Amino acid sequence: MKILLFVIFLLTSFCKFAFSDEQQIIAMGDIEYGEYLGAECAACHLQTGVSEGGIPAINGMDAEVFVALMLAYRSKEMENPVMQMIAGRLDDEQIGSLALYFSKLEPPK
Amino acid sequence: MSKISRRLFTGLAAASVGTLAFPSISLGAVPRVVVIGGGAGGATAARYIAKDSGGAVHVTLVEASKRYYTCFFSNIYLGGFRNYGSIGHNYYGLAVNQGVNVVHEWAVSVDPATRMVKLGSGNYISYDKLVISPGIDLKYDSINGYSAGVQDQMPHAWKSGTQVQLLRNQVMNMKQGGTFVMVPPPNPYRCPPGPYERVSMIAHQFKQSNPTAKIVILDPKPKFSKQGLFEAGWQKHYPGMIEWISSEDHGGLKNVNASTMEFETDLDTFKADAACVVPAQKAGAIAMAAGVNNGDWCPIVPASMQSQADENIYVLGDASVAKSMPKSGFSANSQAKVAANHIRGALTGSKVFDARYSNTCWSLIAPDDDVKVGASYVAGAEAIDVESKFISQADDSSETRAANYQESIDWYNGITADMFS
Repeated sequence: MKILLFVIFLLTSFCKFAFSDEQQIIAMGDIEYGEYLGAECAACHLQTGVSEGGIPAINGMDAEVFVALMLAYRSKEMENPVMQMIAGRLDDEQIGSLALYFSKLEPPK
Repeated sequence: MSKISRRLFTGLAAASVGTLAFPSISLGAVPRVVVIGGGAGGATAARYIAKDSGGAVHVTLVEASKRYYTCFFSNIYLGGFRNYGSIGHNYYGLAVNQGVNVVHEWAVSVDPATRMVKLGSGNYISYDKLVISPGIDLKYDSINGYSAGVQDQMPHAWKSGTQVQLLRNQVMNMKQGGTFVMVPPPNPYRCPPGPYERVSMIAHQFKQSNPTAKIVILDPKPKFSKQGLFEAGWQKHYPGMIEWISSEDHGGLKNVNASTMEFETDLDTFKADAACVVPAQKAGAIAMAAGVNNGDWCPIVPASMQSQADENIYVLGDASVAKSMPKSGFSANSQAKVAANHIRGALTGSKVFDARYSNTCWSLIAPDDDVKVGASYVAGAEAIDVESKFISQADDSSETRAANYQESIDWYNGITADMFS
């Protein structure tokens, strides 16, 4: 819930611009690169359904939400040392590529 | 095509996707990858090459076991948190969903000159690129008195499977107030925090079923992974039960006697009622047979996981010298993705991206008290270098530790799907 509220806050705070930071980052993305980078995510984020614990499914996630979350982990505004480490070394192009790739996947049932 | 030749062709095509393999059969332009070993490295590599090439690469996975029991989470089973069946996996997903030709045989030798793998049945499989991911073999003779012949009295349980079930039975049946001796392996070895998580899980079991039991750890090392976190956890959850004795204090294990269950050191001779003895380790035998080892382990090229000895062979996981990455299932899975991308690029011309690696190890100390350590890595010229890292903090909240455990369960589901689905 905390994550959701944070994302809504991030999204609404950017909506006054014609092109948000998220959209600019998504525009830098390359889906083939996203597929390669996304393999790292698949080590923990279940690709075949929804798991029961604390790691959310990311397949089919809205690209702008994806970017907002990754930026928040990269800047350490959101907690979780694994995600801070993973996001910490991604540049904007890489985040945009991942957002594009995962947004195109079928969401889990 | 005449009727006869069509029938012959169909028969040969069927043979090529079954368990038979003829080196003389060419599949035309479809390049062939053979993967030896169906664990975190091999299964992941086979899956990603097959999945991402969409049929442009023919992938054969050679794995003797029809059912694979993960080493990771075997400690969670030992602690009574999971049943044994829940850590077993089959290869149907790789065969059916990804089109991997799964061959349940031992690979016995490799001829790099002709690019052939010889199987236990005597059949040969040819390859354009070979992935060797055999995990570890144990150096039984690294401990005086220990051997494969006494591994049922003193299980190592370091390759999962029935040894882990045996150890669980011995823990459950140990006499009340008895002493359990744990002998961790010397560096380098599979799963650095593993011996200490194992002690934690056995202590958790004893706390319920044998509360006056003692655990003595005779370590061949002067320090160990996540030491501060483990020792604080033992003090909190199992006060007085666990005694860790550094190599600097016991002076080295001189001999073990499986009939009397005695462990002789300079400090004292320890008598056990049950024990877990994990000897030193080396790369699995097929890596030695292929000649890609230098001593006990296999040097690799950090940017690709190619063997330094042969550019057509990739070595993944525990068998490789992937310094600075630890030998873990997570590491092997990460390395497999770099190798898969590189192999596809070499065989089909697909884009090859820069190598990037990561690892995280979760360790359960007690119910809802789970600690983690992890790092991200890049390929340096000489080694796989740490880019950033983290470790659980001594003052983590109990909520954080409990969340770590939930996270580890999801990771288990995620990585096993990433290997086998």
